Amino acid sequence: MSPEPPVRSVAGMITAEGLVKRYGAKTAVNDISFTVRPGQVTGFLGPNGAGKSTTMRMIVGLDRPTEGRVSVNGRPYAEHRAPLHEVGALLDAKAVHTGRSAYNHLLAMAATHGIGASRVREVIELTGLESVARKRVGGFSLGMGQRLGIAAAMLGDPATLILDEPVNGLDPEGVLWVRQFVRHLASEGRTIFLSSHLMSEMALTADHLIVLGRGEIIADAPVADIIAGGTRTRVLVKSPQASQLADLLAAPEVAVIRSEAGTLEVTGLAAAGIGDLAATHGLAIHELTPLSASLEEAYMALTADAVEYRTEAVR
Amino acid sequence: MTTITQPTTHPSQRARATTLTFGGVLRSEWIKLRSLRSTTWSYVIVIAISLGMAFIMSLSMASGMNGGGDAGRAPADQQAQLVLQASVFGVYFGQLVAGVLGVLVISGEYTTGMIRSTLTAVPKRLPALAAKGVVLFAATFVVGLVANLLAFVVSSVVFADTGVSASLAEPAVFLPLLGGALYLALVAVFALGVGTMLRSSAGGIAAVLGLLLLLPTVIAMIPAEWAADLIPYLLPSAGMNMFTSTTAGPSGDALGVWLNLFIVLGWVAASVVGAAVLLKRRDA
Repeated sequence: MSPEPPVRSVAGMITAEGLVKRYGAKTAVNDISFTVRPGQVTGFLGPNGAGKSTTMRMIVGLDRPTEGRVSVNGRPYAEHRAPLHEVGALLDAKAVHTGRSAYNHLLAMAATHGIGASRVREVIELTGLESVARKRVGGFSLGMGQRLGIAAAMLGDPATLILDEPVNGLDPEGVLWVRQFVRHLASEGRTIFLSSHLMSEMALTADHLIVLGRGEIIADAPVADIIAGGTRTRVLVKSPQASQLADLLAAPEVAVIRSEAGTLEVTGLAAAGIGDLAATHGLAIHELTPLSASLEEAYMALTADAVEYRTEAVR
Repeated sequence: MTTITQPTTHPSQRARATTLTFGGVLRSEWIKLRSLRSTTWSYVIVIAISLGMAFIMSLSMASGMNGGGDAGRAPADQQAQLVLQASVFGVYFGQLVAGVLGVLVISGEYTTGMIRSTLTAVPKRLPALAAKGVVLFAATFVVGLVANLLAFVVSSVVFADTGVSASLAEPAVFLPLLGGALYLALVAVFALGVGTMLRSSAGGIAAVLGLLLLLPTVIAMIPAEWAADLIPYLLPSAGMNMFTSTTAGPSGDALGVWLNLFIVLGWVAASVVGAAVLLKRRDA
């Protein structure tokens, strides 16, 4: 392997360089490089099978990269003297022995690093598990399992948190809690790397997005940039001569949807262009509104070609 | 928590002076072992089997003596052998339970996904396996010793009517009791290695029980001299001979205590080394 330039040692920074993971003939992650920075929530977005979980497992050394390397705080995860203080990971809510109580699970995890029972009680309180802490994990709902996973991740009060689908299975109150929790942790200067398939959730939680499709990075940019650049603009047009206008707008790159009488939804032509066209032909325009793209639409546009398991559109 | 925190200090540097140590991993594995019901049940069964078998065995041996006036006048070492034989009889069955427990200690982590939590906390992996081995060995040895000592008490009480007795102060008496416990502990560690390699409860238990029960029977059925020569080197044969052997070194057909112990250790080493190599190499 050729010598790589030394990685800057910034607290909590995750740096992946040329990561590749192949399972036999199948390539799960194909040569990805990225940096996750402290003090913000970085969303890791992608369709199922895009390689998000594999990438996260490689960060904490559960899966060995076929090629490339990934470091946390300038070192491979396993090389740290106190890994749980560096990184807290929730990779799988059910990574817990079902026959053990939540308290004993956390106590055993904490003991490896000499973390005491008082911290175990703190994280139980932090995640609202007090009432079930002594019960066996086998009876936990998915939501309680997620809370327990977050509690375990917080044991070492780590500078970096890696959370794979943390809101999966949570009720609306739980989703809100996770959102506020990770925002708070990021505001303390921690690095938060969060995967989700809920784009709307990402729009509310993340500052920066890394979008993965078929094992490759499709986008790596601030959330706002992705929303702005990722979709074609839609314009809402109201006109008493809507059908005439629709005929004029017809072009291969322009799509016109007639939603109700006198209302058009135009994609592929900016508001100014529509207005000019109407003026040239003397058509009245009552409303001309550019619709802001949602992250969901930006995401669909980005991953349209990279969906591993595509379902036929309903209807 | 200390109060010397500075506003600019990163959360991870705030009163987080603890590190990952092998002592910590040992404590963690001890918490894990004692917080599962399967452990409690396994150990209760080991003790119950030991007591039950000692009772049945000594009762049947004592009743065969018809009042036993003669046995009571037999030399002390022969009397001790009778009591011992009854006392450690349960180890043959106890090894099956120890084997199942050894597999479950690790396969339970693979089937539930716990292994990912374990290896995230101990990313170098081998310390986790080593700690599991040490804790399992120590706990099984202590339980085995308690079981054998209680079995000795039961046998002694049953034999008391026949005038047969044995003294625990004699090395020829307490060493076999220790040896039986040592074998149980080694079987558990052997099974831990098998469970780590196979990563499945059903597969691991089948493999261990197959080696302990089935393999000796199958090989004994092969009508060839090499098969007969092979039998003493099998894990359960060497294991049982390790503490029932009356000679320290090889004599005649017997391999003696030490050689049997080395054969058992060879089985354990092969299993543990295989487990270590695969654990280090495979994705979790």
